[in-house]
Amino acid sequence: MNRKYPKKARTLQQSQDLWGRLFVLPAVLFFSIFNFYPILNALWTSLFNRRILSFAKPDFIGLQNYIFLLQSGSFWNSVRATLVFTAGTFLSLLALSLLVAGLLSRISRGSRFLQTAYYTPAVLSSVVAATIWLLIFDPRGIANQFINTLMNTPGVDHRWFSHPVRVQIATMVVYFWKYIGYFVIVVLAGMASIPKTIYEAATIDGANGWQQYWRITFPLLKPTVVLVSIMSMLQCLKTFSTQYLFTQSGAPLAPINVITLNIYNTGIRDHRIGRASAMSIILLIIMMVFTYIQFKTSKTDEVSY
Amino acid sequence: MKRIVALALMTALVASALFAGGQKEDADGPVSLTYWTHEDPNRTPLEERLIREFEAANPGVTIRRVTHPSTRIAELLLTAFAANQGPNIFNTQLENSFAYVANHRVAPVNLEAVGASSLEALLGRYVEGSLDPVHIEGKLYGLPLEVLNWSIFINDRIFRDAGLDPDRDYPKTWEDMVRVSEQIVRREGNIITRRGFDFRYSDYLIALLPMVEQLGGQLVSDDGKTAIVGEEAWLEFLRFMEQWGPGGQNLGSPTYRNARSLFNHDNDDIAMTHTGMYQQARIMADNPEFYESGEWRVVPFPVFENAVNDIAACYYGQYLMVNAQATERQQYYSWKFIEFMQQHAEEYLQIGIIQPSRELMESDLYLSMPYADVFAADMERARVVYHAGNSSKLQELFKTAVESVMLGGVSPERAYATLKAQAQEVIDEG
Repeated sequence: MNRKYPKKARTLQQSQDLWGRLFVLPAVLFFSIFNFYPILNALWTSLFNRRILSFAKPDFIGLQNYIFLLQSGSFWNSVRATLVFTAGTFLSLLALSLLVAGLLSRISRGSRFLQTAYYTPAVLSSVVAATIWLLIFDPRGIANQFINTLMNTPGVDHRWFSHPVRVQIATMVVYFWKYIGYFVIVVLAGMASIPKTIYEAATIDGANGWQQYWRITFPLLKPTVVLVSIMSMLQCLKTFSTQYLFTQSGAPLAPINVITLNIYNTGIRDHRIGRASAMSIILLIIMMVFTYIQFKTSKTDEVSY
Repeated sequence: MKRIVALALMTALVASALFAGGQKEDADGPVSLTYWTHEDPNRTPLEERLIREFEAANPGVTIRRVTHPSTRIAELLLTAFAANQGPNIFNTQLENSFAYVANHRVAPVNLEAVGASSLEALLGRYVEGSLDPVHIEGKLYGLPLEVLNWSIFINDRIFRDAGLDPDRDYPKTWEDMVRVSEQIVRREGNIITRRGFDFRYSDYLIALLPMVEQLGGQLVSDDGKTAIVGEEAWLEFLRFMEQWGPGGQNLGSPTYRNARSLFNHDNDDIAMTHTGMYQQARIMADNPEFYESGEWRVVPFPVFENAVNDIAACYYGQYLMVNAQATERQQYYSWKFIEFMQQHAEEYLQIGIIQPSRELMESDLYLSMPYADVFAADMERARVVYHAGNSSKLQELFKTAVESVMLGGVSPERAYATLKAQAQEVIDEG
């Protein structure tokens, strides 16, 4: 005997859950198609000796691509170039974005203009930014003229593109110039979320601006600092277009052959898409390890006022 | 929730069914062709007109011409073909196109579509050897958009300004090139403000490898098993480049702006550059006054004083090819259109592009082109650029070796040893 039970009404919690899932669904689909699927595909491809144009079924070679890379001097040079670039750019981006945001937050007149001015390079494409700096670093460009005027060394070519160390510094400068404004804005937004009453109480207690920055602003900015440091570090590890354009314009490859550039050359120039995929998986692992370490060392991402 | 998932799946199925039907074609219906080529402002009006004429003569056929920057077209083609979405017709440099033939990505020439009774008859239309790079195992996989070589362009005004007579003092040897460049060069401190000559650092296999070959060296041995042959020749060449760079006589460097693009502007910053006949049309477009002034000339590619081989810069080509994944009708009309382009070789020549048919090379028009005799003489002592699956990688290693001695303070002996070891690794890997 069939008995029909009345349908149970949804609770408010269940209804909110459903809507929450619905709203998240487009993002999940987007990330699944454009992020997770390519990652899994790259992982699978990295296990084959696949050539990009070949119709032939690629041979399954297991971990041989990884073994080759771990024994390759060129790959380890790319790891070195990537880590040097990341350390040089990420640390200066983090420190100076905090400093500049702190200074901007104290300026009452012209602060908006300065924020816009700092942010402007961030809206340029990386290719345009690198092209501008190619002209600046040209032997006859203003970088040489500026340094020579400053140091009273007329006619010296500081070899921004050709000196193995200076070409690395040049790529860091381009990246720093492009992204400093973006991270300053993120830090300023974090500062704006700190209640003014805390500063008022500190002022009444006699704290000066310096003390307020280090005792109130900096500790309460911790979530923002973690966010900025992870974002800037990941951006630096993925750097490509600056190094690509520099090498296309005559700069030597080895000092700035970052992992992404090596992936491009291996996959597109040499047609070895299996090996390039293995390199991209190793880069993913490096990025995940660094992100995990940053989360662990920062311990908390929550601040209560 | 289940209903939402079901709806999403249905949408995905409908969408895939809709988009999957793109390639299906009626046997007598319209044919759509896509033609990818590199940007060349001089060629665009001509080819757009040819497309209109071809479409009018072949009702139902439409051709979409898509241009890409010459620096990017190789990678765009590669990624499009990797996704099985390559264009029906495309052109690419010989060094890059070889991989498409080797991987069966391109279709052989349809003899009926190009109006040839046999392959021999078709080959006979062109200058001997000009189709060799795309004539593989008895099949022809491309027809030339252009086949060309480079000679040396000279700015007479800068020569005279430096106290040189361009008629008499133009460089015949690489040693002359150093002497003449030293006389022309101007520097502020160690920054060069006017160069005599500078190399094309992006094209080592075309422009610099012949210098090694003049001295008796080879990139790869004749049997294809040994890389970087002829130690003395390579060392002498690397020493020459070391002296050319900032650490030696400071006559030029890869870090200065490309000499070829500066030459047209006649801004007193470069006296000589290494380029092809097409440069004449570009000078005319960029700086008609300089073109009309007659203050420029073209001279042969120099040789070393102790050269054992009289070799000029390599010739190379842009070949038009047809996607093997296109339908049969698309392939037929693609070849028909390519042949239509070949029939207008004289119009291509007027914009400096040589499609090396016998008819064109013997025509009054070609023989009347400025310095056609110089280019033709250099072509006779040139060989085709090295082209194989590993040519890009070998070029990169070559570039690294030269730039390490010019810019990185590496000794020629060490650069040679590194180049030899790395190039051999590439050859061995296959």
